[in-house]
Amino acid sequence: MKWLTALLLLIIAPLIGYHYGNFYALHVAGLVGIYCILCVGLNITVGYAGLLDLGFMAFCAIGAYTAALLSIKGLSFWITLPVCLLLGGLIRYLIGAPVLRLRGDYLAIVTLAFGEIFRLVANNFDWLTNGPKGLPRVGEKISEIRLFSLSFTNDLQFYYLILFFLLCTLLISYRLEHSRTGRALVAIREDELAAKLSGINVPRVKSLAFVLSGMFGALAGAIYVHWIGFISPEMFTFWESVLLVAMLVIGGMGNIAGALLGVLLLVGVPELLRPVLGTRFVEYRMLIFGLIMIVVIIFRPEGLLPSKRRAAELHAKDD
Amino acid sequence: MYRALLIALGILTGFTGCAKSPAGMKVVKIALVCPLTGDVAAMGQGMKRAAEIAVEEGNAAGRFQDIKLELAAFDDRADPKEAVNVANQIISDRQIAGVVGHLNSGCSIPASQIYSKRGLLMITSASTNPKLTLQGLKNVFRICTTDDVQGSFAANYFIDKLKITRAAVIHDKTSYGQGLAEEFKKQFEIRQGKITGFDGINIGDKDFRALLTSIKNKKPSLIYYGGMYTECGLISKQAKELGLPVPVVSGDGVFTPEFIKIGGNATEGDYASMIGIPPEKLPKAKAFIERYKAKYPGVDMQPYDTYTYEATSLIMEAIEKTGKDPAQIVDYVSRAKFSGILGETTFDAKGDTLNKTISIYRVKNGKFIYCE
Amino acid sequence: MFIEQVINGLTLGSIYALFALGYTMVYGILRMINFAHSEIFMVGAYIGFWVLSSLPVFLPGFLPAYFLAVFILAMLGAGLLAVVVERIAYKPLRHASRLAPLISAIGVSIFLQNLIMLTAGASSRPYPEKLPLEQFNFFGAQVSSLQIFIFGLAVLLMFILTLFISRTRLGKAMRATAENHIVAQLMGINVNTVISLTFIIGGGLGGIAGVLNGLYYGSVKYNMGFLPGIKAFTAAVLGGIGNLKGAMAGGFILGIVEAFAAGYISSENKDIFAFVILILVLLFKPAGLFGEEVPEKI
Repeated sequence: MKWLTALLLLIIAPLIGYHYGNFYALHVAGLVGIYCILCVGLNITVGYAGLLDLGFMAFCAIGAYTAALLSIKGLSFWITLPVCLLLGGLIRYLIGAPVLRLRGDYLAIVTLAFGEIFRLVANNFDWLTNGPKGLPRVGEKISEIRLFSLSFTNDLQFYYLILFFLLCTLLISYRLEHSRTGRALVAIREDELAAKLSGINVPRVKSLAFVLSGMFGALAGAIYVHWIGFISPEMFTFWESVLLVAMLVIGGMGNIAGALLGVLLLVGVPELLRPVLGTRFVEYRMLIFGLIMIVVIIFRPEGLLPSKRRAAELHAKDD
Repeated sequence: MYRALLIALGILTGFTGCAKSPAGMKVVKIALVCPLTGDVAAMGQGMKRAAEIAVEEGNAAGRFQDIKLELAAFDDRADPKEAVNVANQIISDRQIAGVVGHLNSGCSIPASQIYSKRGLLMITSASTNPKLTLQGLKNVFRICTTDDVQGSFAANYFIDKLKITRAAVIHDKTSYGQGLAEEFKKQFEIRQGKITGFDGINIGDKDFRALLTSIKNKKPSLIYYGGMYTECGLISKQAKELGLPVPVVSGDGVFTPEFIKIGGNATEGDYASMIGIPPEKLPKAKAFIERYKAKYPGVDMQPYDTYTYEATSLIMEAIEKTGKDPAQIVDYVSRAKFSGILGETTFDAKGDTLNKTISIYRVKNGKFIYCE
Repeated sequence: MFIEQVINGLTLGSIYALFALGYTMVYGILRMINFAHSEIFMVGAYIGFWVLSSLPVFLPGFLPAYFLAVFILAMLGAGLLAVVVERIAYKPLRHASRLAPLISAIGVSIFLQNLIMLTAGASSRPYPEKLPLEQFNFFGAQVSSLQIFIFGLAVLLMFILTLFISRTRLGKAMRATAENHIVAQLMGINVNTVISLTFIIGGGLGGIAGVLNGLYYGSVKYNMGFLPGIKAFTAAVLGGIGNLKGAMAGGFILGIVEAFAAGYISSENKDIFAFVILILVLLFKPAGLFGEEVPEKI
C-alpha cells in the first residue's frame, strides 16, 4: 500500500513542481532517476555477485555514444535503444570472459583500467566520437524521442520516461534477486568453491550478472544523451565510476533500497542544496563523501540500508 | 526508505516559489558563467571581477527605477557537463534576464542550446570558436573575435614579419584549441609555410618531453600551440629544457600573467595573439581600468575582463531599454549599436561582432609587451 | 632521437620505480592494494612545493644542503601521513574481506585529493625553479642536469633500500612478516611496528617521487597522483607485485615504453599503453615478469 502511495507521489509531485516553474528541481529529479538506474544496475555486479567494478561508467558511455551516433543518423530511439543494450551487453560479455576469472582486488583494478581505456578512446578517436569536443558535432542534432504522436522535449516528459525505465529496472533487479540465479549469485559471493561443488555453473552465472548489469549502464547512457542532448568523454571519468560505488557502499550493497538511498544522499540532496548553499558547496561534497565512505566501510560495512543476507555475511567475520 | 522518499519529494515540491524579492524593488539578475575553480580559474575570476564592477556601476548610476540588478555568478569548471547542468539551473531561474559566458567554446556550444530552449540571451565574452554562432541560434551573441581571424592573423604575422617558414603545431583537441590550430595551419600552408607536425595532447597532461623530442628532430623555427595557458606554459618550459629554443606562439587562451608564472623564464620571447587592441590604448577603457585597479589593488587584469565588462554593460542597456522579457532583450541586442569601452559594437546576422582587430604580444622581462 | 627518448624514459621510469616501491612493499606485507598511495605521492609533491616556495636558499653554496632538507621534509611528511592513513583506515579492516580495505583506500584517496584541492586551490601551481639547469651533450643527445639528478637520486635510494632490506635486522623482520604474519609474531617480531615501518618507508619514497615529479614537470595539482599512481601500480604488477627489484625494473620498463609510445606512435594515446600492459599482465601473467608463481590459497 505504501509503495502505491509512493508511486502516486512520484507521478504527481513533479506536475506541481512544473506548474510553479521549478525546472531545476525537476532536472535534479531526472538526474536522480538516471543515477538510480545506473546504481541499481551496478548493484547486480557489486552487491549480488560481490565483484567490485571500478569502471562501470564505461558502459554508460558506450550506451550514450552509440545512442548519439545512431540518433544523429536519424534512427528512432526505439530502434537505437535495443542496439545500445545489445552492444553494451556484448562488450561487457567479451570483457567479462577473461576478467571474471580474476580475484576480487585484481578484478577491481582491471575494470578500472578498462574504464579508463574507454574514456581515452572516446577522447582520442576523433573520427568516431569527436574527441573532447563531444557529440553531436556542430550542425548535427540528436533526434527527439517520439512515442506515437508525442515527442519528448522538456524535463517533465523526460522525467516520466526515466521513471518508466527506472521502474522496469527495479522490477528486473527485484525478480533477479529472488530467482534461482539470484540465489546462485549469493552462494558464489559467500563461497565460490562451495557453490561450484553444489553444482552451480559459476562462470555462467557470474557472466550473466556482469552482462545484465552492463546493459543497465547502457540504458542509462542512452536515455541521458537524448535528454541532455550532449555528451563528452569528461562525463565518464574514473571518479564518476567511484561515485557510483560510493553510493552503493553508503546506501547498502546488495539491497535495491540501499542503492536508491545512496543515490538520494549523494546526488539528490547535494543538487537540491546547491541553490541554497551556493556553488562552492559542490566542492566540499566529495570531501564529505570520501569521509563517509571510510566511516561506513569500517563501522557499518553493510551500509545504511543493508540487505539482510549481506549483513549477516559481513558480520560473520567479526567473531 | 519510504520516509526518505517522502522527504525528497517534499523538498522537490517545496522548492517552488521560494524566490521572492525584497519589498518594493524587483530583482533582475544577470548570470555570469565561467570557470571559477580549476585550471583556468584565474581567467574566470577576472571575468567575475569585471562583471561585478559593471553591475555595481549600473545600480549606483540609478539607471533602473524599480529594478535592483544582481550578478549571479556560476562556476562551470571549464567542464562541458557541468556547463550543461548549470545552464539548466539558469533557465529555471525566472529572474535571470541574460547570460554572460561561457569562457571555453567547449562549454559555450552545448550550453547555448539549453539557453535557446527558453530564448534566453547569451553573450559570450571569451569563446572564440566560429562554430558557436554557426548553430543558427537566435539568442547567441559573441563580443570577441573568432579563431579563424586570429589563427590566420598569427600565420601572416610570422611569415611576413619574422620570415618563419617551418612551424610545428600542437593543440589540446578542444573546440577552441583545435579550431585555432587548424586555422593557423591552413593560413600558414596557403602562404607556402611548412607545417612539420600537427599533434594533439590531452588537457591535464604534464609530460610533453617525448612529443617535443620528436618535434625537435624536425627542426621547426616555432611551435604554435592551440589551447590554454597551463599546458602551454609547461610546453614552453620543457621545450627549452630539451634544447629546443624556438618561440612558442599561442592565442588569447594563453594571454595571461599565469602563463609566465607556470612557464617561468622559459617563456621569455614567446608570443601570444589577443583579440582587440590593448585596453590601455582605448580612450574609453581608461576609466574602467582605473576603477578595476582601485577596487582590486595588486590583482593582475585578465584577458577577458574588458570583454566581460562590455557584455555585461550591453545586457544592462538592453534591460534598461526593454524590461526583462527575454525575447525583447534578444531582439534589442541583435539590433544594438552599442558604444562601450571597446568602441562601437554591432552584430552580424549570425551574432558575431563586427569589431575584429587582433594584436600580437611578446613576453619580455616577464611581461607581455604589445608588438602590433 | 632514439637516445633522447631512452633518456626521457629513464627519467620518467626513475619516478615510477620509486613510486612503485610503496605499492609493492605494502602488498608484500598486507596483500592489499594501497589505492591511497597516489595521494601520498601528491601530498609529498605539495610539501616540497610549500618548503621550496617559503624557505629561501641562504647562500648559493648551501644548495645541496637545502635540497637535502626539502627531500627529508617531504619524505617524513609523506611517510607519517601514510602511517596515519594505515592506522585509521586500514588497520580496523585487516581481517575483513579483501575488498573492504580497497574501498576504504578509495575513500581516503577521495578525501585527501579534495582536502588538498580545498586548501591549496584547484588550479596547477608552478613549482619553484631553484635547481640550476644545465644541458649536457651525451653521444649527440641532450641531457639536462635535472634528468641526471632524478635518475641518480632514484638509483641511490633504491640501493639504500635494497641494503636495508637485505642487511639489517629490521629488514629481516620485514621479510619475515611478508612471509607469514603469525610465524613472524611467534618469532618475537612486532608485526604492527613492521607494518608501520613499511608504510613509512613506502610513503616516504612516494613523497620523494612526488617532489621529483614536481621538479621535473614544473607544476603541482591536486589530482596529479592518479595517473602516475596507476602507472606505478602497473610497474609493480609488471615486475611481480611484492617483489622489490621487480618494481624497480618494472618502473624503468614502463617509463621507456611510455616515452617510445609518445615519441614514435602517438602522444595523445600514450596513457592507453600503460592500461593495456596492466590488463595483459594481470590476465596472463599475474605473477609479473620477475615474480614467483604462488598458487592461490583457498
